[in-house]
Amino acid sequence: MKRIAALALASSLATGLLLTGCSVEHVSSETGAPVSSGSGTEPGSGRVVNVCSWGEYIDTDLIDQFEEKTGIKVNYQTAESNEALYSLLKSGGATFDVIVPSDYMISQLIEENMLAELNYDNIPNFSKIDDRFKNLSYDPENKYTVPYTWGTLGIIYNTAMVEEPITSWSAMFDEQYAGDVLLINNSRDALGIALYYLGYSVNTTDEAQIREAFQLISDAVSAGVYQGKVMDEVFQKMEQGNAAISTYYAGDYLTMLENNPDLAYVVPEEGSNWFVDAMCVLKDAQNKDEAEEWINFMASTEANLANMDYIWYASPNTEALEQYPAYYEETYGEPLDLELYEIMAAPQEVLDRCESYLVLPEATRALYNDLWIELGL
Amino acid sequence: MSKELIRLTDCVMSYDDDIILDHLNLYINDKEFLTLLGPSGCGKTTTLRIIGGFLTPTSGDVFFDGVRINDVPPHKRTVNTVFQKYALFPHLNVFENVAFGLRLGSTETSQVNGKPITRKVKIPESEIRRRVMEMLEVVNLKGFEKRSISALSGGQQQRVAIARALVNQPKVLLLDEPLGALDMRLRKDMQNELKRIQQEMGITFIYVTHDQEEALAMSDTVVVMDGGRIQQIGTPEDIYNEPKNAFVADFIGESNIIDGIMRADGVVEIFNRKFQCLDKGFDKDEPVDVVIRPEDVDIVDEASGQLKGTVTSVTFKGVHYDTIVDFYGFKWLIQTTDFCPAGSHIGIKIDPDGIHVMKKSAYSGMFGDYSSYSEEYDEIGDVDYDPEQEESFREDGHEEE
Amino acid sequence: MKKSKRPLLAIPYVVWMAIFVVAPIIMVVIYAFSTAGGGFTLENFTRMGTYTVIFTRSFRLALIATVVCLLIGYPLSYMMAKEGPRFQRVGMMLIMLPMWVNFLLRTYSWMSILEKNGLLNQFFSAIGLFDLINAVFGTNIQYFHMIGTQGAVVLGMVYNYLPFMILPIYSVIVKLDNSLLEAARDLGASSTAVFRKVIFPLSLPGILSGVTMVFVPSVSTFAISRLLGGGTQMLLGDLIEQQFLGGAYNPHLGSAIALVMMIIVVVCMWIMNHFGEGEEQAVML
Repeated sequence: MKRIAALALASSLATGLLLTGCSVEHVSSETGAPVSSGSGTEPGSGRVVNVCSWGEYIDTDLIDQFEEKTGIKVNYQTAESNEALYSLLKSGGATFDVIVPSDYMISQLIEENMLAELNYDNIPNFSKIDDRFKNLSYDPENKYTVPYTWGTLGIIYNTAMVEEPITSWSAMFDEQYAGDVLLINNSRDALGIALYYLGYSVNTTDEAQIREAFQLISDAVSAGVYQGKVMDEVFQKMEQGNAAISTYYAGDYLTMLENNPDLAYVVPEEGSNWFVDAMCVLKDAQNKDEAEEWINFMASTEANLANMDYIWYASPNTEALEQYPAYYEETYGEPLDLELYEIMAAPQEVLDRCESYLVLPEATRALYNDLWIELGL
Repeated sequence: MSKELIRLTDCVMSYDDDIILDHLNLYINDKEFLTLLGPSGCGKTTTLRIIGGFLTPTSGDVFFDGVRINDVPPHKRTVNTVFQKYALFPHLNVFENVAFGLRLGSTETSQVNGKPITRKVKIPESEIRRRVMEMLEVVNLKGFEKRSISALSGGQQQRVAIARALVNQPKVLLLDEPLGALDMRLRKDMQNELKRIQQEMGITFIYVTHDQEEALAMSDTVVVMDGGRIQQIGTPEDIYNEPKNAFVADFIGESNIIDGIMRADGVVEIFNRKFQCLDKGFDKDEPVDVVIRPEDVDIVDEASGQLKGTVTSVTFKGVHYDTIVDFYGFKWLIQTTDFCPAGSHIGIKIDPDGIHVMKKSAYSGMFGDYSSYSEEYDEIGDVDYDPEQEESFREDGHEEE
Repeated sequence: MKKSKRPLLAIPYVVWMAIFVVAPIIMVVIYAFSTAGGGFTLENFTRMGTYTVIFTRSFRLALIATVVCLLIGYPLSYMMAKEGPRFQRVGMMLIMLPMWVNFLLRTYSWMSILEKNGLLNQFFSAIGLFDLINAVFGTNIQYFHMIGTQGAVVLGMVYNYLPFMILPIYSVIVKLDNSLLEAARDLGASSTAVFRKVIFPLSLPGILSGVTMVFVPSVSTFAISRLLGGGTQMLLGDLIEQQFLGGAYNPHLGSAIALVMMIIVVVCMWIMNHFGEGEEQAVML
């Protein structure tokens, strides 16, 4: 008797583990219908679309609205980073229809022939996208993508902990605030900062230039400038005042600002990265039509306004950009702080001194990786 | 000339309200084989553990060679123990188990200002080796040195335990029911072995058991205990032939214990009949307990018997028949090679030296009646028999309701 | 000869092991020896030399964490085993309680304790510790630099894996036959000798278990080194992660590193077990 009980327990445990391995984070609609993980329409049970985006990157009401409006079931999942998403796609670990990668990852996916060309007749809201965000370098003929959000990378610093306002990337290498500076924990962004500072293109493949940039960081590490390398931990560190200077994205700055009003944001004078996250459809997606419907819905002005308000990243939709201050005032009853709005949606002069990432050739990517690991040695 | 080695004075052991040892007074001589005998819970193991140092008496003193050792921990006493479940070290082989105590060094005790001072002196390896091999030979385990403990039989493990204790040449060896787990034949062999070793090595053995045959076979002195008190101390013969009270009489061998009245020196009356006996020193007409061993009763024909009774059951035991006989409502056990079938009327004769008279004690009436042997459970022997009833029996010669 | 049905009962276990243990290891081995193109290569292993620093750092920190766990865990287990059952129940619950909280959350909370403005530093500041130190030594410190150090990483490892050291040792000691200890004392062993010659050797299996269960996860951790080490202490786990989630997706190199790590750990375990067995028959300490 005991053995049978033990066996039953073991097999239910195993099944449970198997299932948790398969399922991922998702936001299901209020209908309470069982949410399946992974691919495809169940035969005869209605239409489905599988979306993979980032954490805290959508106003969840929009998902409900879409499902009501179109009757398409949304399986919404998130990934941790572009590299994690790539890893997932490459190893065949998931089947999505719509993904929302960043610019450089999109160009890599296009190169590797993993994206489907979109039928823009199914996406009339594409016309609302500001011309600034069409035909960008990662998708020059705009055949694969519809922009979702955009923003800038900049320096976030604690005005109470530094003596004068920061304007240059030099702050990231300066020994003045040694021990209080946080380096961003991925090779592309970190080396990118050094490249901006040195005046080189952030997409250079010149090994000498890359090594020079690396040396800058390496010396700073040896000099003890950095408290550590962070990604999400930056929120806690900046909000609690555990560090003075860090590099992160505009939208995240606005979130941190809520918890610590001493924080300030600047896009340094040498220029920075401006990024676009765009929606695209995987080549082997099962639900292409549904995917395009979703994209069209997300590109609408209403959706963009709601999203802007929720995640505080700028929208590429022209109407939404214009209407947002009024929308804000209507919703909250007070005028929108235009300075903050400019941080969220940087004006063109700022964008002019920014560069966006392109996919780097494999050899350069390998070089970045090796250098980054060298830092850890 | 034996000298006193260990003395316990007025030892009391109690836990909360339970009294385990009740003012125990005992002395043990050097080179003596002394057995603590009694039923479970009588306090014999507790006494042993107090001598070993694993327990401290609640009150009372323990003396070793004249020195008070109440507070001396076990590892400082020149006493070694053979445990009931052997307690051999599973991570060591036979040699290392036996050598364990030697490797710790030998204890030297000396007296400074009346307090015992002990110190450890290291023993050279060659000597350790010699003594261990010697001891293994004594217990007949030569050649087993490298064996692992788990590869030994019960008897072999027992012998390793004995060797491990003896190799330290203790003054006293404590044995806590060491043969309990062995089968009959092996037990008898080991009993002889232990006796032999004790006499050869001249060590004091303090042995604990509940098996009275074992105690009688091996001991110089037997201490019978019950309820935390010593009931009797004596040689095996004394204990057997002259038990002091009903408990001892019943615990050692089989006994019929009958109420009697001492009429005069050498004359005791049971069932209204006077019997010659060898006991003296009682008050006239004092109520006493009379012990008659089953093997001391001769069965004769009814007419010539001192008492008349009816056989209620007979069991063949090989060596003899266990015959239950009803005498005037009181059931006796008689062990005889004569076969008397159930229901037959018999007479019995008892020689004077087969009768032993004891003073009445708290145990009177609790033992000595063999009613439960017989089929007739409702017939419980009536200890306070009625003399008038006895008259009628005498006339009829058989029982009456 | 009894035809036992027992082997059938082992089938779920065998299936589980095959799918979730054997197959993944085979995949790792295959990846380690191949290139992106699919051909056989030893290239991934030749690069191992460049990562020696990380290997030594990982093993060193794991070793330190294991020793610390042993030094803290053994006395604690011993003391608990000697106490009564009520104390043992409460003690065991207190030790296990943190395990009910998610591993990552526990590590994050240590961050907020060790940070520059974290709980500890705030507390020290409030009681005037820094002023005292500055006054005595003439320094000018405002806080203790705790986060982002190797010490913090070791602390994280010890905190997370200490119960795994305590449990096996405790369960071995508590089951020790008391009569063995009495026998040792009877034969002349003082308390230290009883510990050295009986308790410690018999508790070795527990120690071995505990060491294994602390050392192995410590070597391969990456969350602890990232969160508490501030990303400055790159360990094997981080290194392997970089190959999968870093700038250049290279599962082959990652698998090769993982394979080398696995082999080293297995060798360490083998040595330790061998050492443990030898103790049983050897002359005592």
